Amino acid sequence: MPVSTLRISHVGLRGIVGSGINPERVMEFASAFATFLHESGPVVIGRDPRRSGVMIREGVTAALLASGRDVIDLDVVSTPVIQHAIRQLKAAGGISIGASHNAAEWNALRFFGPQGTYLSTPEAGELLDIYHLRHFHFVPWNELGQRREDHTVLDSYLDELSRVFDFEQLRQFRVVVDCSNGTSSLILQRLNELYGFSFILINATTDGTFAHEPSTSAKAVNMQLAPLIAPLKADAGFLFDADSDRVAIATETGEAISEEMVLALATDHLMARAPGKKLITNLSTTSLLDEIAKSHNGEVIRVPVGRNSASDALSAYPAEEIALAGEGTGAVMMPQFRFVYDGIATMLTLLEMRASREKPLGDIVAAYPKYCMLKSEVPLSRQRIPQMLTTLEERFSGGRPNTLDGLRVDWPDKWFHVRVSQTEPIVRIIAEQKDTPPESMFNEILDTVRTYA
Amino acid sequence: MAAREHLLKIGVSGIRGVVGEFLTPHMACEFAQAFGTYTGRGRVVLGRDTRASGAMLEHAVTCGLLSTGCDVVQVGVLPTPTIQMYVAATGARGGIALTASHNPPEYNALKLFNEQGQFFNQFERSELIDLYHQGDFTAEPNSGIGSISVERSTPARMHIERVLGCVNQKRIRKKNFRVALDGVNGAGSIMSPRFLTEELGCELHAISIDPTKPFPREAEPRPDTLGDLAELMRTTGADIGFAQDPDGDRLAIALPDGTLIDNDDVLALVVDAVLSRMAGDVVVNLTTSSVIDEVAAWHDRKVYRSAVGEANVVERMLAVNAVIGGEGSNGGIIFPTVHYCRDSYTGMAFILDMMAETGKTLPQLVERLPKFTRLGVKMAFQNGKLGSIIQGFEQRFPNATTDRSDGLKLNFDDAWLHVRASNTEPILRLAVESRSPERAQQLLETGTDILKG
Repeated sequence: MPVSTLRISHVGLRGIVGSGINPERVMEFASAFATFLHESGPVVIGRDPRRSGVMIREGVTAALLASGRDVIDLDVVSTPVIQHAIRQLKAAGGISIGASHNAAEWNALRFFGPQGTYLSTPEAGELLDIYHLRHFHFVPWNELGQRREDHTVLDSYLDELSRVFDFEQLRQFRVVVDCSNGTSSLILQRLNELYGFSFILINATTDGTFAHEPSTSAKAVNMQLAPLIAPLKADAGFLFDADSDRVAIATETGEAISEEMVLALATDHLMARAPGKKLITNLSTTSLLDEIAKSHNGEVIRVPVGRNSASDALSAYPAEEIALAGEGTGAVMMPQFRFVYDGIATMLTLLEMRASREKPLGDIVAAYPKYCMLKSEVPLSRQRIPQMLTTLEERFSGGRPNTLDGLRVDWPDKWFHVRVSQTEPIVRIIAEQKDTPPESMFNEILDTVRTYA
Repeated sequence: MAAREHLLKIGVSGIRGVVGEFLTPHMACEFAQAFGTYTGRGRVVLGRDTRASGAMLEHAVTCGLLSTGCDVVQVGVLPTPTIQMYVAATGARGGIALTASHNPPEYNALKLFNEQGQFFNQFERSELIDLYHQGDFTAEPNSGIGSISVERSTPARMHIERVLGCVNQKRIRKKNFRVALDGVNGAGSIMSPRFLTEELGCELHAISIDPTKPFPREAEPRPDTLGDLAELMRTTGADIGFAQDPDGDRLAIALPDGTLIDNDDVLALVVDAVLSRMAGDVVVNLTTSSVIDEVAAWHDRKVYRSAVGEANVVERMLAVNAVIGGEGSNGGIIFPTVHYCRDSYTGMAFILDMMAETGKTLPQLVERLPKFTRLGVKMAFQNGKLGSIIQGFEQRFPNATTDRSDGLKLNFDDAWLHVRASNTEPILRLAVESRSPERAQQLLETGTDILKG
C-alpha cells in the first residue's frame, strides 16, 4: 500500500516537504483560510524551527497579504503562544506552521479562529471546500496587507501563566527538560531569565536540526532525558514535542512514565479542585481516568479520537462544567487557558501537584492502581473495515459496545478499541485491563482483524 | 480598433501583470520555482522597486526559490542596475528584480537575470518559459530547502564605487553643481541623493524621494510627466535636473529652463564622453537617432544597430565588444565597464563629469550636437497586419536601404523611417528622423497614411 506523504483534512494540511507539502499547496491553503475568515483583523503566524518552516512562512505570508490581511509574524514560537497571541493581539485568526511530534522531514499548517480556538468540524469543512474550489479572495494592489513582527507575546504568555500558577512555589524544583530542539526551549529559557526558574535544558538549540524525533513517547524519554535525571539529582524530567503542545515525563529516578499517565495525573490534580466536573477525552484513553474521575464525583465524556471531536465536545458543554480535556498522547487542555493544548501549562500543573502532595513523583505515580494497555496496528484495506468491525461486535457481544469511532467494547475491568487511523492506512487496536495485560482478548482481536488484511 | 488591455502577460520576457486578480502571489511563486529549477541550487539575489505590491511578491518569490533549494539573498529596495551588478559581482546563480519598470503602480513584474547579472537571452528565456508551463519543479525535502540572508548596504556601495571609478570624482565635487532630482519615490530614492550629495558634492534639490510613498506622477520620465521637475528647475536655478523611473534604470535630463533634453541627445552626450576616454565601438537600437552615428564619427568609431529591447542591445554589445551602448528611444544608457545593463547612475556621473571637465554649461554641451527632427506616432495594433504594412512601406519606398531585423527600417540619404510592433503593448510604433524638419514631417504623414491602409 502506498505510504501517503500528504494529508489534507479537517485538521489542516500535513505532509512530507517536497513530495507532499509544496509552495503551491501551502499558498492555496493560506489563500483559502484568508477567504474563509469572517472577522476583520490581522492574522498571526508562527512556526517551529524546522528548516522548511521559513519557506512555508514566506508562502503563507504572501498569500495572506494578497488577500488584504495584515500579518503578524511571531517567528519561532510554540503553538499555544500563537493561540495566546491571537487573543492578545485581537487577531482574526492564526496559522501554526509546524509538524508537532513528526520527524524533521514533515511539516504542517494548522488553523485557528478568532479566540485562538481550533476550528470546529463545520468550519474546517468550509475551509476545505474553499481550498478545493480555489476561488480565492484577492484585493487590488493598493489594498494589500502589511506584515509586522511581534516579540512581546511570549512575555505576555508567561505573565498569563504566572497569574495561574504559584511560580514562587514551583521554581524550587530542579527539573531537566528535553526540548527536542523545539519551541519549548525559548519559553523555558525565558522562564529562567524572567522568573528565576532553573530548568536544565537539553536539545535546546532551535536551528532546525533535531537530535531525535520530537515525539512524546516513552522511547524518546528514555533516549537522552531519563539517564540524566538521577545524576543531576533532579525532581523530574519533561520532554516536549517540537511545538510544545504535548509533554512526556520521567520520575526523579529516571523512569519514563507512560504517556497515558500525563492526563491521569492532571485529571487527579485538577478534579480535586473542581469536584463534580467533567473530563473530555477520547475513546482510546485509559480507564484509570474513569476511576480517578469517580473518586472526585466527576464524569468522563468520551468522544472520537481527534482534535476536532474534542473541540466540538467542548463547545457542546457549558465551560464551567468542564475540569479539563485531553488525549493519551500527553496533550492536555485546561479552562484557565481557554482550552488550548499546552505542554508548558501541563508541566506546571504536574509540578504544582508534586508540590501539593509533598511526595516524589515516583511515589505519586506508584500509588495509582495498575492498568495494563496493549497496542498494535494492522495495515488493512479500507473496503473490508465495516465487515471486520461487525464481525468483532458479534464476537464480543458480551460487552457494552460503542460505535462512535470504530468499535469500543467495555467490560467492568477491561475494554478494547479498534479504530481506523485518520493519518495512515492502518487499523489501530488498543486493549486495557486492570492489574494484568489482556493478552488472550488482545490476541483474539488481532487474529480476527488480520483475517481481513 | 481599441487596443486590448493586457492585464497579465506570461511570455518570453517573464511575467507581468496587474496585481490582484491577475498577477497573484501563486503565479509569482510558480515562476520563481521555474527559475530556481532552471538555475539549480545556489544563491539567487532578490530585490525590488518601491511599488506597493513588492513586499508581498517578495515573500511569494522567496517561497518558490527556497523550495527549489536556492538560497535567497534579499537586497530589498534597490535600483535594477544595482541588483544586476550585485548578482554578477557575488557569483550568484541568478537574480530577480520585482519591478514593472515604468509601468503604472498597479502593475508588477519579475525581471530575471542570469549569473552574469544580465537579462536572459532569447534562448534562455524560452527554455525557462517551457519549464514554467511544464510545471515539474525541483521540490527539495526539508534538508535541502534553501535559507534567506539579508544584504542591505553592500550592493548600493558597490554600484556607486564602480560608477565613481569611471569619472573624475574630484573635479565634479569641486564644481559643487546645483542639481534637481525627481526620484518618483522609486528604488533610487535613498541611493540617488547619497550619490549626488555625499559622493559628487552637489547641492541637491530633490522631490519625490520617499520610498514609502506612491509614485507622485506617471512612472515613465517624459516631458509631459515631469512638470514638477521643470518647476523645480526654474525655482532653484539648478544647473541640471535628473529624473529616474521607479527602478532606476532609465534617466531623463532637464535643462536649467525646465525643458527636457531629448533622450537620444542624452545618450549622444554619454557616447561622446565615453568615446573620448576609451577605444571601442557603439551599439544602439534601430530606433535610436542618427546623432549617435555623427558623434561616433567624431571619434572615428563604428555604430552597430540591434532590435529594440535592452536584452537585444546587450546581446549585440557582447558580440561586438562595444564600449558603450543604449536605447535613445527610452533613456537607457549601457556602459559595460560598470555593468551590462541600463544604468541611470552612469548617465548622471558622465554628464556631470563632462560639465566639470569642459567647464561648459549643460545647454552649451547640448548645443554642440547636430540637430535632427525626430517624430513618431503609435497606433493600435491589429494582429497579423504588420506583414502587409511592411510590404506597403517597401512598395512606397523602393529605393531605400532596408533592415528587417525588427519590423522594418528604411534608410534614406537624408532621413530614416522605422515601423515596428511594441514588445510590451499591442501597438505599432512609427518613428522618422531627418535633419530637415519638413522632410521628417512629410515622411511621418506618408507613413501614417500607409499605417492607416
